[in-house]
Amino acid sequence: MIVKEGAGESVTGPMAKRGIKRFMKKKIPLSFTVNGEEVELYISPNRTLLEVLREELELTGTKEGCGEGVCGSCTVLCDGVPVRSCLTLAMEVDRHDITTVEGLGEQGEPDPLQQSFIDHGAVQCGFCTPGMLMSVKGLLKRNPAPGEEEIRRGISGNICRCTGYTKIVEAVTAVTTGSNRKNHEG
Amino acid sequence: MIIPEFEYVAPGDLQEALDCLASHGEEAVVLAGGTDLLVRLKQRLLKPRFVVSLKNLRGLEGIHKKDGVIVLGAMTPLVEVLESETVGKYLPALKQAVEKIGAPSIQHFRGTIGGNLCLDTRCLFYNQSQFWRSGRTPCHKDSGKTCYAEENSDRCRSANQSDGACALMALGCDVVLASTGGQRVLPVGEFLTGKGESPFSIEPGELVVELRVPEPGEGAGSSFQKITQRSAIDFALVSAAVSLRVQGGRFGGVRISVGGAGAAPLFLKEASATLVGKPIDDNRSIDATSGLARKHASAFMVENLGSSLEYRQKMVHVLVRRGIKEAVAMATGCCG
Repeated sequence: MIVKEGAGESVTGPMAKRGIKRFMKKKIPLSFTVNGEEVELYISPNRTLLEVLREELELTGTKEGCGEGVCGSCTVLCDGVPVRSCLTLAMEVDRHDITTVEGLGEQGEPDPLQQSFIDHGAVQCGFCTPGMLMSVKGLLKRNPAPGEEEIRRGISGNICRCTGYTKIVEAVTAVTTGSNRKNHEG
Repeated sequence: MIIPEFEYVAPGDLQEALDCLASHGEEAVVLAGGTDLLVRLKQRLLKPRFVVSLKNLRGLEGIHKKDGVIVLGAMTPLVEVLESETVGKYLPALKQAVEKIGAPSIQHFRGTIGGNLCLDTRCLFYNQSQFWRSGRTPCHKDSGKTCYAEENSDRCRSANQSDGACALMALGCDVVLASTGGQRVLPVGEFLTGKGESPFSIEPGELVVELRVPEPGEGAGSSFQKITQRSAIDFALVSAAVSLRVQGGRFGGVRISVGGAGAAPLFLKEASATLVGKPIDDNRSIDATSGLARKHASAFMVENLGSSLEYRQKMVHVLVRRGIKEAVAMATGCCG
């Protein structure tokens, strides 16, 4: 269990005397599960889930693209469904279960979906990949055998400026039909 | 982008939430799904002292049919509306509208139908970063006295781009507002005021808890049409919803609404009325109605969204015509 202490930061001095922004420094407790590990920490309520993941928990696999919910690179799974971590206050996931891209596979032993992305060249610059993987994971949880149309709709919230999506769709199709290289070898 | 600081409150039930809203009043904003609220906070369009999270509230979710009314809890996630058989069967326009909100992985799981209805009006000159806006004097929406969308406008000309609101306007829904003093029910046309500065008739301390849509009768059909620059994650440049009934091969109960035009979806009463009683295969009447819809909607439209005004006005005609044809196909095909 990771416990981060940071509570008890109170405003003192002239600011407090004038009663200015007193309430603002208050940190509140937050506990949730990240990739199967329980996390407890104290945060300011204005932090987004993305900031907590990247800055407090140092899970930098999740990327910040636009920061306003139009690019999808910060997608994580909350209780198995894809959400934008940049548009989710960290406090909103209190006692929920978060999966980030770090939770997908182990070092040297990637998830079949990750392996398929590698095999099909669905990763170019790689910035959109963590979000793309999480969106696809969320899609496959609800619909284990999506058609091309459904895959394209499933990732319609994720922007990729390199691949033109074709390779990504191929990689996902390969996983759902069980025809990616890793499966052949295994 | 960092969100400005605020005090976070998460009431345990509806009563507690209403008490909380009553005591904090105008200093508080309500957080449901947050897919739009957080963007507004980041852009400093809102600077609330309190954010009241509804995450612990139960009983505001779900869809059920009761005495000829389809009741949608305000906190029903969009994905639930999308997958609901009741909505699919009776309110196809609402299903189509929800399908087109944002993208599945962004808005559908966290976004709520009540939140979508309460989507604040938008404008190319207002929904921008703080830095961008800092280069100009504030506009009407920003408590200033200028309008950048239309010269010399004495009021805010921002547009309601909510897909859900446009569909609900055509379907004729009622909005239930709760406060510590009790409940009140407003027709959606009154709930959405059409004023850019204050687009909702919602008092401080009130909360939207329920949407009630009358069950369309026999031979009813509805359709929602939307034009965007991107096929996902985009607001409507202009949208149209049509709800109608087919009785003995003729139109009845037509309701046409146009979104992305005024500060509320426009219910086009006159255009809707011209179609009533006409045979459903009368293409000339359908075209005339669409033309009238364009004429009336154009009066409300200004150059404030990401496409030229002329194009958006032209598209009103196209979308209304498409909407009527699709609603007829639904009324006569699957439901008739």
